[in-house]
Amino acid sequence: KRAAVSAVRMKRPVSSLSLGSSLKGKLVRAGFQFTTDLQDLNPEHLSAEAGVSQQEALEALQAASSGHGVAPVTALELLQKEEEFRSIVTFCSQLDEALGGGVPVGKVTEICGAPGVGKTQLCLQLAVDVQVPAVFGGLGGQVLFVDTEGGFQVQRLVDLAGAAVRHCSLLAEDEEQRVAMTTFTVETILSNVRCRDYVELLAELHLLADFLSNRPRLRLLVIDSVAFPFLRLHDDLSQRTRLLQGLGLRLIAAATGHNIAVVTTNHMTTRLHSSQAQLAPALGDVWGHAPSIRLLLRWEESRRLASIVKSPAAPHRLHHLSVAVVTEALWMFG
Amino acid sequence: MVALLVGMCPGLDEGLLRSLRAADIRTVEDLVSSDIEDLAQKCSVSYKALFAVRRVLLAQHTAFPVSGADLYEELLSSTAILSTGNPSLDKLLDSGLYTGEITELTGGPGSGKSQVCFGVAVHIAYHLKQSVIYIDTTGGLTAGRLLQMLQTETNNRDEQMEALQRIHTFRLFDVCALLDCLYGLSGGGGGGLHMACVGGGSVKALIVDSVSAVIAPLLGGKQNEGMSLMRQVAAALKTMAKDFSVAVLVTNHVTRSGSGEAQPGLGVSWSHVPTTRILLERVESGASGRRSATLIKSSRQACLIKEDFDLQWWSRAEGGRGGGGGGETSGKRKLDETDP
Repeated sequence: KRAAVSAVRMKRPVSSLSLGSSLKGKLVRAGFQFTTDLQDLNPEHLSAEAGVSQQEALEALQAASSGHGVAPVTALELLQKEEEFRSIVTFCSQLDEALGGGVPVGKVTEICGAPGVGKTQLCLQLAVDVQVPAVFGGLGGQVLFVDTEGGFQVQRLVDLAGAAVRHCSLLAEDEEQRVAMTTFTVETILSNVRCRDYVELLAELHLLADFLSNRPRLRLLVIDSVAFPFLRLHDDLSQRTRLLQGLGLRLIAAATGHNIAVVTTNHMTTRLHSSQAQLAPALGDVWGHAPSIRLLLRWEESRRLASIVKSPAAPHRLHHLSVAVVTEALWMFG
Repeated sequence: MVALLVGMCPGLDEGLLRSLRAADIRTVEDLVSSDIEDLAQKCSVSYKALFAVRRVLLAQHTAFPVSGADLYEELLSSTAILSTGNPSLDKLLDSGLYTGEITELTGGPGSGKSQVCFGVAVHIAYHLKQSVIYIDTTGGLTAGRLLQMLQTETNNRDEQMEALQRIHTFRLFDVCALLDCLYGLSGGGGGGLHMACVGGGSVKALIVDSVSAVIAPLLGGKQNEGMSLMRQVAAALKTMAKDFSVAVLVTNHVTRSGSGEAQPGLGVSWSHVPTTRILLERVESGASGRRSATLIKSSRQACLIKEDFDLQWWSRAEGGRGGGGGGETSGKRKLDETDP
């Protein structure tokens, strides 16, 4: 018979609180090892005991009494939340099927491939697709396109947008859909931001949280490409590793916290694996852990092939699929 | 370091405390390690009084040894083994995840760590009917996938929903939030969330996917807090595993050594934390779901045992499921469906 759960309460050490390290050092040296020691103390008393300023004492007491963390969400509630947001369709039915409906909202998806295979194309397509009004099965959301390579072509975007608008107007059946068509035009793309190196990219992303909270309709963030600014950081690899990990965390936090789909593109590099050269996504395993879904585009003769090499979905979906592309303008029609 | 407070023991009153503070004796350790005669003179307190106080404090704060036999009895009665649901993994883990211990899954991107965590969570929630706490720091937790796995176990929608409700998830993206969450769960935050409240007191597993995503960015370079925070997380996980009798499963990334071999991340300091470590790798040939698992650290089995398994095990059709594991081999108690 299992024993009843005892009222065990773990004591939280003061050194685990999110305070400055010198403040924590002073508190520990004064004998306050656990947060329970700090309870029932007023700031004047604490600042006298530990030799810290009143301000710091107040900060310490607040940190000690407030750190409970967030409430848990059961998997059932998570499921309901997930079903609320649709995925962003790519208009290529095979790709959409393999991705389970399209590029999912709330996750980081990465598109890898050699130069010229069509990563920027796919990003531009997604930038148009996310704006398809909800009545047509899209998300009706806005997009932020961060371009680090200069591959963003407005004219191409206009072509794709025009094609999407035509496609939807052909489908418009009822009044609601016709009304939606009037607002679905090219001008609704939010902003075209251009960053040149990793410092600018990181700076842009630090401001991202505020930017996102001001724009609740934003549903897609594209970073094309995430590899380019980092490829030149050869001399300090450990710094590059840390920057990439921090970047990955920030993108994931933005994706889940604000319900947006984050799409990044990556280059390919050669990796030596047991004396055999193989093409692998750039930036190494460090970055490889950040995206939840990885899509690999490559050429085979004159066709583009797409394969999903990482996905939280069932493994049987990870089959190689062929994306038959005749001309780029027809991409969206499968 | 325990602070000296009024009333900690008879004889330790305000006056004595003040004179001790004046002599720069603030903690129990300071008092116990200082020379009593010297101190009695400095504080102008009687030697006998100080000696008595010291004796009581020593008695209150010393640790007492426990005999090995008692420890073994306690272990037998409090440890449970949770099957992961996949017989190949169970073989590597010596029947499953042990409560009171930390098990680590390590592997490169796409090697299946999150999938294994999903499978374990679903198995424990559905078959063993225990609550699971799932802390996700990678953003990879997809409830739809959990539902898919449950749908192959049962067609009954109510049972699926019930199992889903037993999995409690947290989404955190920095180490301070992780520490807040862990201490909040253990009741150390002074109220709020408590393990006993979550899941009605029957939490048996805690999964953190992944622990390296929040700690790795803090290590190295000019940052000195990283190691300390890593140790805090390790201490919190270990204490939770022991005190609450839960099985802790964490995932870690890999780094490449000079010869291109995969090694678990977070360095040597973290390598002492988990009791058991498994390295997952993709199998180049074969179906897309096949992975190979190698045991790289274990206190119970010979290392470097390799097992091939299929990630699709947790979502296979009804007919493919074989019989359960064999009989008990030693005095280990296996937590199974028949437990109350």
